[in-house]
Amino acid sequence: MQQPHYTEAELVAALKRYDNVAYQYLYLNYRSAIYNNILQIIPATETANDVLQDVFVQVWKNIEKYDTSKGRLFTWLLKLTRNMAINQTRIKNFKVHSQNEDITNYVTSIENKNPDETAVHHIGLRQQVHKLRAEYKDVVELAYFQGFKQDEIAQLLQLPLGTVKTRLRNAIIELRKELV
Amino acid sequence: MDIKNYIASGIIELYVMGLCTAEEETELIELRQQYPELDRAILEYEEQVENKMQQNGTLPAAAVDEKILSQLASLKPPADIINMPQQASVKNIHRPANWWKAVAAAAILLFVISGYYNYVLLKKNDRLKSLATTGTSTETLPLSDYTVITNPAITPVAMYGVGTHAICRCTMFWDKKTGKAYIMIHHLPKSSSSKDYQLWAEADGKVVSIGIINDSIRGRFIEVENVPANAIAFSVTLEKAGGNSSPTVAETYLAGKI
Repeated sequence: MQQPHYTEAELVAALKRYDNVAYQYLYLNYRSAIYNNILQIIPATETANDVLQDVFVQVWKNIEKYDTSKGRLFTWLLKLTRNMAINQTRIKNFKVHSQNEDITNYVTSIENKNPDETAVHHIGLRQQVHKLRAEYKDVVELAYFQGFKQDEIAQLLQLPLGTVKTRLRNAIIELRKELV
Repeated sequence: MDIKNYIASGIIELYVMGLCTAEEETELIELRQQYPELDRAILEYEEQVENKMQQNGTLPAAAVDEKILSQLASLKPPADIINMPQQASVKNIHRPANWWKAVAAAAILLFVISGYYNYVLLKKNDRLKSLATTGTSTETLPLSDYTVITNPAITPVAMYGVGTHAICRCTMFWDKKTGKAYIMIHHLPKSSSSKDYQLWAEADGKVVSIGIINDSIRGRFIEVENVPANAIAFSVTLEKAGGNSSPTVAETYLAGKI
């Protein structure tokens, strides 16, 4: 089947018109990047597949909220993907972990997991993060892959908020050098 | 503000990766409108992240593709959004065009409807003119309730049953300007073939006939013409076929006052 080609503006316009073909195009065009991002957070393929599907259905349901003045479509997709994947891990971990487990221990136990030890190995951002020095790795791991807010990270790591902000910014500048 | 330091602070990276606080995000969105170099820097980093992630993707299994593509093909738009014009935020430049098109389309639609409606009314008027005879006869016409009832010039006159005919009811919608009235029978016994209902108006102390009510058509307005503009009361009597020159008061079925 001949796939249509859209500019980003055309694609967004078609998505906002709930054009099914545009959603299929969106999926085919972005699925590998989105799937990889999900796998960074959820290595289990079956769950990751479910999240992948949910992400694109959520795009359909939430497309009217997407504001082009706030960023590119992919940036919005990435944020949506990350939020959904993190939510999924929280649901799963809530079931797995006993209710009386201290939240700090729970976070640390996940934090110490090395992505290289996961069942499925995917090259991506998380690997880059784990190459960072420990103090940077911790804040990015908690912020990006586990979805904690900066003040929550300060509380969890018992650091001043200012220190968390500085480490997060320095860490992400370091990552940029690796990313581009 | 030193925008170069701001750009180099890591805030753009945090923003694109979705790690800003709400306050930081609000500030950045405001600043990017003031500083084109900041806006460019954000877009540049977004593109870099997108390109890098697109190059390092992982394809799902073909069966997953098939399942998701199938689902995306079958999704239905929200009920209130069917072929909605694109949002203003998508491409502002398109908004005036769409707005104009929508108004133009609505105007054309209204014009067509109004044209058709006028045509129908004209045809009805022609029929009225050809059928109407003054003073002694009336014609039934299927004028729509809506047209008559919503006419602001209309004076409604309720007519109630008289004596043993208390159950009878009709309403007359009188247009004083044109001298026409439209009568809707709610309840009136069928007249025999040898009798007709006749409508009378009282004006200047005299009772004058304003028409024979052909009651063969029920549920429709019956139009009469030449209603005296200074009429103060109306009545309906049962008369010999073709009507009388004066009302048979004992046979009064309906009466109503202004």
